[in-house]
Amino acid sequence: MIVDQAAREQTRARDPDDAGYVERNGVRVFWERYGEGEPTVMLVPTWSIVHSRVWKLQIPYLARHYRVITFDPRGNGKSDRPIEASAYDERELAADALTVLDATETERAVLVSFSLGAHRALLLAAGHPNRVSGAVFICPSIPLAPRPSDQFSYPFEEPFDTYHGWAKVNRHYWLVDFRGFLEFFFSQMFTEPHSTKQIEDCVGWGLETTPEVLIATAHAAQVKKDEARALSSQIAPPVLVLQGTEDAIEGSARGIALAQATRGKLVLLEGSGHGAHARDPVRVNLLIRDFVESIARRAA
Amino acid sequence: MSLLEAQREQTRARYPDDEGYVEREGVRVFYEVYGDGEPTVFLLPTWSIIHSRYWKMQIPYLARHFRVLTFDGRGNGKADRPSGIGAYTEWEFAEDSLAVMDATGTETAAVVGFSCGALWGTVLAANHQDRVRGAVFIGPSVPLAPGHPERNVHSFEDRLDTDDGWAKYNRHYWLEHYEEFLEYFFGKMFSEPHSTKQIEDCVSWGLEIAPETLIESHEALELCGTERFRDVCARVRCPVLVMHGDEDALHPLARGAALAEATGGRLVALEGSGHCPHVRDPVKVNLLIRDFVESLR
Repeated sequence: MIVDQAAREQTRARDPDDAGYVERNGVRVFWERYGEGEPTVMLVPTWSIVHSRVWKLQIPYLARHYRVITFDPRGNGKSDRPIEASAYDERELAADALTVLDATETERAVLVSFSLGAHRALLLAAGHPNRVSGAVFICPSIPLAPRPSDQFSYPFEEPFDTYHGWAKVNRHYWLVDFRGFLEFFFSQMFTEPHSTKQIEDCVGWGLETTPEVLIATAHAAQVKKDEARALSSQIAPPVLVLQGTEDAIEGSARGIALAQATRGKLVLLEGSGHGAHARDPVRVNLLIRDFVESIARRAA
Repeated sequence: MSLLEAQREQTRARYPDDEGYVEREGVRVFYEVYGDGEPTVFLLPTWSIIHSRYWKMQIPYLARHFRVLTFDGRGNGKADRPSGIGAYTEWEFAEDSLAVMDATGTETAAVVGFSCGALWGTVLAANHQDRVRGAVFIGPSVPLAPGHPERNVHSFEDRLDTDDGWAKYNRHYWLEHYEEFLEYFFGKMFSEPHSTKQIEDCVSWGLEIAPETLIESHEALELCGTERFRDVCARVRCPVLVMHGDEDALHPLARGAALAEATGGRLVALEGSGHCPHVRDPVKVNLLIRDFVESLR
């Protein structure tokens, strides 16, 4: 960590007990470990628009009960920022997660993912059932159902005269007013009243990466609908889906569909937006803990 | 409490163990008691623009260690709204406070007063020395040092040809644009970023008093003169702790410092805090209150 970043970072309720880098094909990814409990919970990164501090309200609580591992996605935080789209293929992110499990000598973990993180978590859980003992998906961005009509629906590559609302999801706009995009996007992520702090945090993390990196992620290969269906039906470990009923980014149909496709349990969070774990952390943390405990009981 | 009020009120982290009304010269105020530790911490009302829920970040914590007493002051909450400037002087609030202590069998207490609450807290401590073991004053609005100059530009009574900034602190503006005034005022009260929830709470409490009544309560507070109040301070015998935010946009830190000096108390300047550190930095303030109250045992 360079001194400037260290000085800028907010104080933490809990600092990591261990941290390090893994490197794959020349790309370095930064991980952290908190606590010693059993089992291990891996907080999977989401879209590189933010980094692992997006879990800041989960880490201190979960680390009192479990061993918690998280990492910064390639493209943000203390991880490298390749600008080729191929570097952000969902399979690369899933491989990063597996490499972090190896580097931290983690045989198995319960995965907790949020939004786009569902892609890599699904690949990991379906592809490596011996390494994953359960999976929690928070407001998953999985194409098993349509999004609300407007979201991400405008041409990404085409320049416009003006960029209103969801038209801000546009490479040309990102290159001229990256902050404007971030402020719009996170205002949609946190639709609950009194979310100014959460929006400010996320905008700050977004500014730690560049529009070039995000453009690369927009071109990267994701899990498509048919593959998502196939992976979901293969998934062996238990699944819990937490879905906000007021999710203005993904809608609630995708979370509901993922729970059905994985034969998982669905909890609808009444009134929650997309960032439910940041705006209703006590409820989400207790649900995660109950789920982890139920897996431990099943194993015993 | 009417059913409607009960439905509208937010859920609480802790509910009172006892509550009731005290009537003094025909005016009823509403009190609540939480916990049964020792000693009693008495959270005083402030200006009638808000009511006792403004202590909501203190009550649950303090009630785990002490007996906590609070009440809605005349003019807001479940208290009566008498008319007339004379009903809202610091002396009336101090006597109401004493009546609440009597009604709840509270022989002595550590009092905590915020903003204008420091006026009646000081009067109570000076006039009833045997009943007040110690006093904490937060962001005290006391006439011992000059206020912010920008608050002294416009007349309160005259009709103004501007409503810019502090020009909103004006009787005519209140009568015509009360909610806009509340939003402006509480925006100044919570100068810290990310205070939208605290502002929203206070605006809704402010709507529980009519602007006509708030005008009278304001005019009553204007009567509190510097020399008379300095004499009151000189009669305070108990230990005093003053906390004041150095970013307080309603009352400058100099006022807190002057009150600490006048009462022989200790001053804690809270860096970066606005007028309401107990609401925006409750953990720090609660720990300071607890340390102080423990020291009185």
